[in-house]
Amino acid sequence: MPKLIKLVGQTAEWADDSYLLVADEDPIPGQGDVVLPLARFQAEGGALLDEGRSVGVFLQADQAVEDLAYDLPRLSLVAVNFAKFRDGRGFTSARLLRERFGFGGEIRAVGEVLREQASFFVRCGFDAFEPSDGSTPQEWLAAAHRFRHVYQRAADNRPPAYVERNG
Amino acid sequence: MKALTANRLLDGEVVFWNAGDWKTRFGEAQLFEGEEAAQAAVAEANQPTVIVEPYLIDVAAEEGGFAPVAFRERIRALGPQNHPQHGKQAEGGHDIEVIQHAHGVARSAGRHNLIKLKK
Amino acid sequence: MYRYDAIDKAFVADRTAEFAGQVARRLSGEITEDQFKPLRLMNGLYLQLHAYMLRVAVPYGTLSPVQLRQLASIARTYDKGYGHFTTRQNIQFHWIKLADTPAILNELAEVEMHALQTSGNCIRNITSDPRAGATAEEVDDPRVWSEVIRQWSAIHPEFSFLPRKFKIAVTAAPKDRTAAKLHDIGLILRRARDGSLGFEVIAGGGMGRTPYVGPTIRQHLPVGSLLSYLEAILRVYNRHGRRDNIYKARIKILVAQLGAEEFARQVEAEWEQIDQPSVDLPDTELARVRGFFDTPAFVSLPPKSEAFEAAKAADPALARFARNNVHPHKQPGYAIVDISLKAPGETPGDATAEQMDVVADLGERYSLGEIRVTHEQNLVLPHVRLDDVAAVFAALKAAGLATANINLVSDIIACPGLDYCALANARAIPIAQDIALKFAEPEKAELIGELKIKISGCINACGHHHVGHIGILGVDKKGEEFYQLTLGGSAAEDAEVGKILGPGLPANKVADAVDQLVDVYLRERKDGERFLDTYRRTGLTPFKEAVYAEAH
Repeated sequence: MPKLIKLVGQTAEWADDSYLLVADEDPIPGQGDVVLPLARFQAEGGALLDEGRSVGVFLQADQAVEDLAYDLPRLSLVAVNFAKFRDGRGFTSARLLRERFGFGGEIRAVGEVLREQASFFVRCGFDAFEPSDGSTPQEWLAAAHRFRHVYQRAADNRPPAYVERNG
Repeated sequence: MKALTANRLLDGEVVFWNAGDWKTRFGEAQLFEGEEAAQAAVAEANQPTVIVEPYLIDVAAEEGGFAPVAFRERIRALGPQNHPQHGKQAEGGHDIEVIQHAHGVARSAGRHNLIKLKK
Repeated sequence: MYRYDAIDKAFVADRTAEFAGQVARRLSGEITEDQFKPLRLMNGLYLQLHAYMLRVAVPYGTLSPVQLRQLASIARTYDKGYGHFTTRQNIQFHWIKLADTPAILNELAEVEMHALQTSGNCIRNITSDPRAGATAEEVDDPRVWSEVIRQWSAIHPEFSFLPRKFKIAVTAAPKDRTAAKLHDIGLILRRARDGSLGFEVIAGGGMGRTPYVGPTIRQHLPVGSLLSYLEAILRVYNRHGRRDNIYKARIKILVAQLGAEEFARQVEAEWEQIDQPSVDLPDTELARVRGFFDTPAFVSLPPKSEAFEAAKAADPALARFARNNVHPHKQPGYAIVDISLKAPGETPGDATAEQMDVVADLGERYSLGEIRVTHEQNLVLPHVRLDDVAAVFAALKAAGLATANINLVSDIIACPGLDYCALANARAIPIAQDIALKFAEPEKAELIGELKIKISGCINACGHHHVGHIGILGVDKKGEEFYQLTLGGSAAEDAEVGKILGPGLPANKVADAVDQLVDVYLRERKDGERFLDTYRRTGLTPFKEAVYAEAH
């Protein structure tokens, strides 16, 4: 049963996860898409990218997206870990990746990922989710779009209220 | 001696465990002598759609009955002290009186009288 | 006052619907209490000692008569017929049922109110000067900027899961009636030498376990850059505020740890990278918001009201009320009228539904439809004609709302304390009542003059005890309630944290101790000094000796 939800345009769908999350101690498989923890990526990721592999980085809450800036154009995925759903640092990480560094690849929310926070994830630029609460894509989408209006600009490019008001 | 208390999910009311049921009056609380019995009740009382945050409280024998030892738990069992007509104390009854007259309920050195409001 | 448009109404309706769904999922067990708790906190719903407590947002302390009547109705229908006004200008209901909350939120939405973000690790109610728009002292109306920040912070996508709560205050007058320097961010509106409007930005103030008067991190921020600069501060805090220990998670800890200079540097560095035009409001929106705070429909009146002067001469009680509760207004012939919710013997900050209705009527009839809440748990009618003050006084008197004690010894701030609050260690209400009754005699209170006593039932300091001229902190000492006194705190523009007087006192000694402190003041004071001034001149020693002399 696939547990990855991806945003596709205005909808959300189950998606196959082609990436293998490689733990710190494990060997990196010779082929296939891999997601590496940040330190491991910094040590070994360059070589994999040179081979033309699809490489992603697994980012903890306290790790700075700035450390990825140089490699971002070649990365296809950043997985942002929410070890505790109350820890909102990942929202900043995603926004910076999208808005400041222009990252065009997949930003995936992993860890404690709850439907009640779907709108925050989507607004901050996440486009893939591994829900930890059994949410389906339909439930996720409905939760992400509970609000017809927003008051701030964010990574999702929704017009803020003052733009809707004044044009 | 211990009792098991929680707040009811639906309305936040203070409740006390008694053999599978949640009672609103401290006087109806089941009292546990031993640690084992108390912990068994805690396990059984894990009802997330009925109550919130169950925990054990210390209870002591008082003249005429029992009362929670902690001042905070007495306030939970009685109600706010600035509005005697609010909370469980408004219902009156023997178990309420036992708590109100329990040893040490006036706490600090000397008696601290409840303020009588002019209405 | 700000009025909702279709967008604002839809927003609150969507939030109410979302919360109703979350409540349903909690009741069915689909989400756990652990998952539900931050969600209900973000909607202002606490679980307290006896019931749920709902904290309704009163944006920067402004209320219309319609809104206040609805609060009265909610108090009657869903609570026990009263509400409590708080030190952040909000109102709390102490006897709420979770099951009723969706209905209550709907009724609030009907009058353009909500309980959004009055709790939780997010940006809380923006507080401001209760005399905004009425006082001659302000350089601009701080409500304009408070409203701007309120909207910007409403379900902010990036800053809704902060390390801890975040409180912002905005003030625009030389006299600070908002405790700005004790906030996570305090914004002081000023005109620069070239006349341009800007904010002095204070960051890292706070009370609680580790009180700090916040340092200035920027002397002058042009007002147009407010939101982008706030975004910079919040981002630095969101990324670097501590998340390992809830007692060290406020921004004040981060600012103290980095030092103001380094913190400011990090904020400026972040700010420089922000695409500011995408955050800061266009002039059209600023003008639109400002339009809601235009000068009200004052009529042309002489500066003095002969009728009022005559009434005061005839009624010493009215004269006393005028001396203490009535303040100058920027418009000739008008006045700012304070309503004390501190009648000696009553619970500080509480108002019955009937009293709320009376104030709503007075607001409608005599105050151009405006009512304010102060952070000292009182109410204000900001635009009363001097000609009408006598009538207002009579109506207030009939409702038990005419106590002439604003800023006096019996005008005490007290948190609900252990009578209601699950966080408390000791009761605060009976201490406040004891002290107020001891000084209930109006002549004595006026003789003493300005004396701000603030009482907290625990170290979370919701009663602002750190910044009381006399501060009182309830502690639990081996299961008994003891009270630690501090002296010399101030929440005003001369902000200062009080100093501990000595060992904690038992409950029944606190009012006597205050009496002794007052006696020392009356004995030592010179030349129109307030209590605070005398203390600042003499220091702790004479006060300490008086209270602890017998304790050998």
